[in-house]
Amino acid sequence: MMNFTQYKAKNNPVEAVNLAVEAAMKANTKLNAVVTMVDPGEQLNRLDQYAGGKMFGIPIALKDNVNTSGVLTTAGSRILGNYVPQYDATIAEKLREAGAIVIAKSSLDEFGMGGSNLSAATGPVYNPYDLSRMSGGSSGGSAVLVASGVVPFAIGSDTGDSVRKPASYNGIVGYKPTYGRISRYGIIPYASSLDHVAFFTRNITDAAIALEVLSGRDDRDMTSLQLPVEDYASLLNPSLEGKKIGILTNVLKAITNPEIQAHFANLVARLKEQGATIVDIEMNQDLLSAILPTYYIIANAEATANHSNLDGLRFGVQKDGKEIDEVMSASRTAGFGKQIRKRFVIGSYALFVENQDKLFRKAQKVRRLIVEDLKHALSDIDGLIAPASAGVAPKLTDTSMDQLSSTYLIAENYMVMGNFSGYPSVTLPMGYCDGLPVGVNLTCKLYDEQTTLNLALAIEQATGLADQIKEVA
Amino acid sequence: MNRYEPEYFKTLAKQLRFSLSDEEARAIADEFGVLLDQMDLLDKIDTEGVEEMVYPIEAETSFMREDEVGHTFTVEQALFNAPRQANDHFVTVKVVG
Amino acid sequence: MNYETVIGIEIHCELKTATKMFSPAPVTFAKRPNSCVNEIDLAHPGTLPSLNKNAVKQAIKACAVLNLEIDPLVRFDRKNYYYPDLAKGYQITQQFHPIGKDGHVSIPTSTGEKIVRINRLHMEEDTAKQFHYNTETWIDYNRAGTPLVEIVSEPDMRNAEEAVAYVEKLRSILYYLGVSDVKMEEGSLRCDINISLRPVGSEAYGVKTEIKNLNSLNNIKVAIEAEIKRQSELLDKGEAVEQATRRYDDVAKTTILMRKKEGSVDYKYFPEPNIPPIRLSKEWVDEIIATLPELPEARKERYLSIGLSEYDATVLTQNKDLSDFYDEILKHTDQTKIAANWCISELPAVLDTQHLASAKNKLTPKNLADMINGIKTGTISSKQAKDVLPHLIQGENFEDVVNRLGLKQVSDTGELLRVIVDTLDEQAQSVVDFHNGKDRALGFLVGQVMKKTKGQANPALTSSLITEELMKRKP
Repeated sequence: MMNFTQYKAKNNPVEAVNLAVEAAMKANTKLNAVVTMVDPGEQLNRLDQYAGGKMFGIPIALKDNVNTSGVLTTAGSRILGNYVPQYDATIAEKLREAGAIVIAKSSLDEFGMGGSNLSAATGPVYNPYDLSRMSGGSSGGSAVLVASGVVPFAIGSDTGDSVRKPASYNGIVGYKPTYGRISRYGIIPYASSLDHVAFFTRNITDAAIALEVLSGRDDRDMTSLQLPVEDYASLLNPSLEGKKIGILTNVLKAITNPEIQAHFANLVARLKEQGATIVDIEMNQDLLSAILPTYYIIANAEATANHSNLDGLRFGVQKDGKEIDEVMSASRTAGFGKQIRKRFVIGSYALFVENQDKLFRKAQKVRRLIVEDLKHALSDIDGLIAPASAGVAPKLTDTSMDQLSSTYLIAENYMVMGNFSGYPSVTLPMGYCDGLPVGVNLTCKLYDEQTTLNLALAIEQATGLADQIKEVA
Repeated sequence: MNRYEPEYFKTLAKQLRFSLSDEEARAIADEFGVLLDQMDLLDKIDTEGVEEMVYPIEAETSFMREDEVGHTFTVEQALFNAPRQANDHFVTVKVVG
Repeated sequence: MNYETVIGIEIHCELKTATKMFSPAPVTFAKRPNSCVNEIDLAHPGTLPSLNKNAVKQAIKACAVLNLEIDPLVRFDRKNYYYPDLAKGYQITQQFHPIGKDGHVSIPTSTGEKIVRINRLHMEEDTAKQFHYNTETWIDYNRAGTPLVEIVSEPDMRNAEEAVAYVEKLRSILYYLGVSDVKMEEGSLRCDINISLRPVGSEAYGVKTEIKNLNSLNNIKVAIEAEIKRQSELLDKGEAVEQATRRYDDVAKTTILMRKKEGSVDYKYFPEPNIPPIRLSKEWVDEIIATLPELPEARKERYLSIGLSEYDATVLTQNKDLSDFYDEILKHTDQTKIAANWCISELPAVLDTQHLASAKNKLTPKNLADMINGIKTGTISSKQAKDVLPHLIQGENFEDVVNRLGLKQVSDTGELLRVIVDTLDEQAQSVVDFHNGKDRALGFLVGQVMKKTKGQANPALTSSLITEELMKRKP
């Protein structure tokens, strides 16, 4: 079964869930996407309570930065290798009440800090389309579980495109709503002002349903939106008559891959055929080039502070020491991976009193300029599109990307604007390059979930690429 | 372009309550140059008169929580993950200063 | 050399709310360790802060009475440092935008009232409690997250007297506001004294030391005096004062070094991303300010205006629980001065006037008022009242006690006359003595009547009736 409708039509949760569990364990031998398999027995026993739920009986996976009471939650880090939460994240509660069944906690880059999933404590996650390639990250485990046919839905988190990039590499839908649309309570953080709860599905209709389930004000998250949750699914309307879609030309110009350019051009042509007006949008090149360093400074600084609670005293791995500083230090050194410790060092550097003006506060100012430029870009159009990545999923050993090239700076990182601004943004399948998926990204105005879903549905109909999976042998 | 010695990063790490091996410190020192170049891209941008953006959504809020006792752990839940405990307390090595 | 002392004071005050500053776990005292916490207080991964409205309300009250300008946009920041009592590894505080700034308070000094300026009042959260043993430290997070307000004065005080007066004034105001228990000995009010010396006439500040862990007003006084002495001696010798944190040692009677201040710690303050700015509605703030409870100064004025002496008004006002009790008594009697006397002189001798508001106290204001009224109407004498009081303290009603003990003062003229006539018949010699000019005879006869009536005769009435009767028995 591929999508929610089919699962609900079959109406045999026990069978569906057991098949998913089997598939997960089988696929995992190749993909290494699962940190913890969750025994669905108890959930199936209580499932009747949730009859009528919008995701009733659907097996799902949760990124392992989602707190699940009584179930190991590691955030992809050794330091939480033994952490068993005593509370549920708000979204875990919501999904349960909608009748969904969690079968796995999926792998992620340590604390969500990475774009490759190579830094997970449980090791790399592999791409089902080509096992010598990465899944992308940080929500790599969730992405491949959906893409390989194991579950039709998985939760991820998107701080610097960590759902929308792997969606592109795996040929599925990666949806990031407006900041605060979905409660972050119980999600182990990366960078609080950039973190979004986001998710993977195989088609836009399922994304709309999932959004209804997950959205809503949560007083435990003071940044969550007070806005009512609309009937996103029943209001879906893919009509492009009168719609104006912008092409982000800065990204197109930075992409050198001809196949991707061709896929994109085809898509644009079809959207035009369906009645959309297509316009070129050029944003400020300097601002777009500044996205990556702005992101690094803000994200690493906030992350360093966010993980100061990991001191080995109340939970998590603890190492011995003669003095308290030694205990904390030994625990954190053993528990945090190399990449994380590097990022913390850089992050805290930007927060020193003497550096804050030049680095942290400067980055926060540039953030504002980038967001204003994006707002301006969207002011006259309904949505902004561009290829979601400059290439297919990189090989596991690929470190060839020049960190200062505009390909790297702009084409591979522009989606972070969606995190800076909080605007709703979705990646969905665009085509294949030598059998490997590439996606297209659509970003719309603040709070405008319905338009995002509507235009995305139009794109899905134009490409015909819904419900794409690649089972691993 | 400033370059810092590996020792500098080891000191930074110590302040953050973790340590770096010589190798790790050297790797950071090497990469720092690239990072500083990236940060120079920020300098190109004129931010005169621009206010910092702390929150992605800047609409003012008014919600504050009512002062009513709500969800509280049992002592067992509180101590469930404690690496060391005694008599309902979290335990660690003696703290001085 | 003559030095001028410069003192600034930082006060941390625990607010009396039902729940914590950023979590709905309860704020309670003396309970089982780690029984008043939840995942937020323990800083479990993934938790987020949720601001306590009542804590903000208490802070607004404090700002209003301390004449601070209230910032209607509430914003928080992170203060980052590692310590075992700080679960998150940062404290949520208000570094950049305190809720109150630029206020002042007036303190009494031996040379008259003095204004002490207050730099800021901000909200933050308390830390956990650590217990240090031989080789281990034990941590109880019950206190972690308790709402605090921090009040920082300008360095306007010049001696120990002023410092103590400032702390006492703040303590009293905060107690009257009902925002805190302000018990220094329990830690709900904590003072840090910053003190430096400079040559008289100099404008520049000297090096300051910080004195912590002062748990009584007296300790503040002696600690400051000891520190002034210590710093003066150093400066006189030409040595420099080291910037440091010190604590007062009761036994050594001097301040002891706790830790040096090496440069200053960089707390890497930045705005708290998980709490968006909150706009306080003008209506709400205005309402809080309009409904502030009566403050010590106003209460004292009120007592003076109903005719109490300066002394009585001052003593009553100094003990809020006692004067609250007094105010209740006044709802049932108009004997303002007598009631004040009972509260100030009689009650403290027989019960703890610090805990009149507690459930353990069974003496009700009404019963005490009834007793006072009873003295006025002559139902009992003031001497008898002293016997009645212990029973009222046990919780008995005034009427019940009087009846049970048969204490109703005899004021019935007819009844008294009968006893008087009997007495005069028996004491013929005294009658003669009286008419011979011996004044003491009257007192003796009154005493005899009192004896016969077991002390229940109304003395004044008895005296005048006896006199009348004696006049009828002129020889």
